[in-house]
Amino acid sequence: MSRLELDGLTRRYGPVTALNQLSFSVAAGQVTGFLGPNGAGKTTAMRAVFGLTALDAGAVRWNGRLVTLADRRRFGYLPEERGLYPGMLAAEQLEYLGRLHGLSPVAAASAAAGWLERLGIAARARSKVESLSLGNQQRVQLASALVHNPDLLVLDEPLSGLDPEGIDAVGEVLASQARAGKCVLFSSHQLDLVEDLCESVVIIDRGELVAQGTVEDLATRGEPRLVVRVAGDRDGAWARGLAGVRVSENDGGALRLVLSPPADPQSVLRAAFAAGPVTEFAVRRRRLSEVFREAVAHGGGQRQAVTAQAGVHQ
Amino acid sequence: MSSILPIVIAVAAVFFVIYRLRRQSGAQGPRPRAGRGGLLVAPPGAGQPALRLLPLPGDTGLVAAREFRVRARGRVFRIGTLLVLVIVSAAIVVPALLGHKPTIQRVGVAGPLSAPVRAAVIADGPGIGVTVTLVPEPSGQAATADLRAGHIDLAVLDGSRVVTDKPAAASDTSPTAQLTRSVARTVGTGEALQAANLTAAQAAVITGARPLPLASLQPGGPGTTQRNTSYVGLLLLFFMLTQYNAWTLTGVLEEKSSRIAEVLLAALPPARLLAGKVIGIGLTAFLQAGLAVAVAVGEVRATHSDVLNGLTPLTVAATLTWLVLGYAFYAWVYAAAGSTADRQEQAQSLLIPLGLPVIFGFFVAATAALSGNPSALVHVLAYLPPTAPFAMPVLVSLGAASWWQFALSAAISVACTFGVARAAIAVYRASILRTGSRVSLRELMAR
Repeated sequence: MSRLELDGLTRRYGPVTALNQLSFSVAAGQVTGFLGPNGAGKTTAMRAVFGLTALDAGAVRWNGRLVTLADRRRFGYLPEERGLYPGMLAAEQLEYLGRLHGLSPVAAASAAAGWLERLGIAARARSKVESLSLGNQQRVQLASALVHNPDLLVLDEPLSGLDPEGIDAVGEVLASQARAGKCVLFSSHQLDLVEDLCESVVIIDRGELVAQGTVEDLATRGEPRLVVRVAGDRDGAWARGLAGVRVSENDGGALRLVLSPPADPQSVLRAAFAAGPVTEFAVRRRRLSEVFREAVAHGGGQRQAVTAQAGVHQ
Repeated sequence: MSSILPIVIAVAAVFFVIYRLRRQSGAQGPRPRAGRGGLLVAPPGAGQPALRLLPLPGDTGLVAAREFRVRARGRVFRIGTLLVLVIVSAAIVVPALLGHKPTIQRVGVAGPLSAPVRAAVIADGPGIGVTVTLVPEPSGQAATADLRAGHIDLAVLDGSRVVTDKPAAASDTSPTAQLTRSVARTVGTGEALQAANLTAAQAAVITGARPLPLASLQPGGPGTTQRNTSYVGLLLLFFMLTQYNAWTLTGVLEEKSSRIAEVLLAALPPARLLAGKVIGIGLTAFLQAGLAVAVAVGEVRATHSDVLNGLTPLTVAATLTWLVLGYAFYAWVYAAAGSTADRQEQAQSLLIPLGLPVIFGFFVAATAALSGNPSALVHVLAYLPPTAPFAMPVLVSLGAASWWQFALSAAISVACTFGVARAAIAVYRASILRTGSRVSLRELMAR
């Protein structure tokens, strides 16, 4: 099984520390989401995989060995700042990039045509990139990361600027690449989308790892969540003042509650009964957005990296 | 007139190049998402040939081949090539037309003129480079009228007066003025000899007297044709170096501002990307230069122009050698400069200062080419890599440089090019992925 490891990456820009001893790994066969607030160091870490950032410390390994140029040719990269030659034809551009990644002329031409077909822009293969719509430019850009059938895909914000149809197309591509045994790492701010797309996530903040694990693991850990609706109390006044209960959302009277000791579901249910007829009561998993916010909040307070195995909350 | 023309061409060339640079740096759309517009947009429906990459080895070869293909089929290249060909043609054909001498001078003769004097007048022609035809005129008035009408170039009246329709200035070096002065002297002398009662044979000997050939202890200077040739070669060098150096700058800047550099550098090292770009644009330049030289040679053959009589294989080789060496030296500098800028607008502020040594070298060398007498400054500049591409070919075409001087200068240039390339790659590596702030000199030095 292929594996990408980032080991103790440290990068300082003058007084700013972009990456601080960042270590995590990306396993093959699954889609890994890479999350973090703006400026957390996601782009710097992704660039480091391609040697585009000079590291102050740390190393990037592929299957246990330091990454070489030959390895990088087998990687696919979608940078945050999209870049294509404006005046080149879409197919020609993909052929060129395929050849730079070591494909033969024939293989590059057929791979370029194949990806344009698959992403639904075969009709624009002979168009200059600058004449394409923004969404189609994005598709060409995605194809440029895939054209050489890479073993590792690193995609920086692949969903930004895409319509729902485009997002579905990208999700389908990522999933199929993972199923084909590739390593797939992508960053995003659109957390609810990430939840559907990826099996595991890495969350960093201020250059440090704050959480890592499968979506399943992370979602079932942490404080329990309840959704409770008491008829006639749209404001959720009944829940105020309950010890260990925090209202995280109020959807027209359906309260999303985060429980911490001494509260437990039974005590909350009793309090709800006392307030009126309970029309909705459910135990919920953490959403990825909640995992993210809590991890970032914890990490920000304690500056200590944790993994799902150790528990996100400390 | 013919001595001002090359200077006019030179000044026009410089202004034209500056104008092109302004347009180039201003007109390109900086980002793909900026949509249509800019120089790279072909007319709709223009068929684009498929990219078949050249069979060059390695990824440097791939980069160079892409650069060559994309550039060579672009509109900028096609128009630029056309302009270079027009300018080369103008430099060959225009002087040939302007310098076309009236080879026949018609001399009207009114009144008596003895046979020996007539023969002496006709014999004056070859010394000036013309053929003299005597035209009998019935009277002085008729001769004057013909002069005014331009039927004849000058008239000898009654063997005692020479009349011309031009101001009689001693500084006028036109064939007619020279012939007029010569005929006046010849007829005066001839009539005096007649008056001295010499026999016809004696008079013929004396009127046939010609000044002795002059020999100088100074070595003979290069002829006009050599000077013209070296000047045309200089123009070619100037255009090529300015145009293609600007392309390396804007090409690097395009890759940086369109952010494709990040995609490319994920797959190949900066040095190879930069080298491929320099080589690819260089190949385009040599294609254009080759076309220009071929057209120039063809035109010279076709028009039987003597403008490029100095076009020896040695001169061509020297010009093309220095096109390669000069491009190699400058391309790195321009490419590195391009990587330090962020936007196409900044290209302008870089191109002009970088162009100064090129313009300086061109003008100093052009002065030497036009005078045919290179100054000590030109001999010094011929060993400095920034100016050698202009100074050394001129020295070669004027026969003022020996083979070892040429080789020494070329060796200096090659050695400096390696140093410049190393520095340029360091600057490029530090700057190409960096946006927002210009990389300061101090940061570059610290690396």
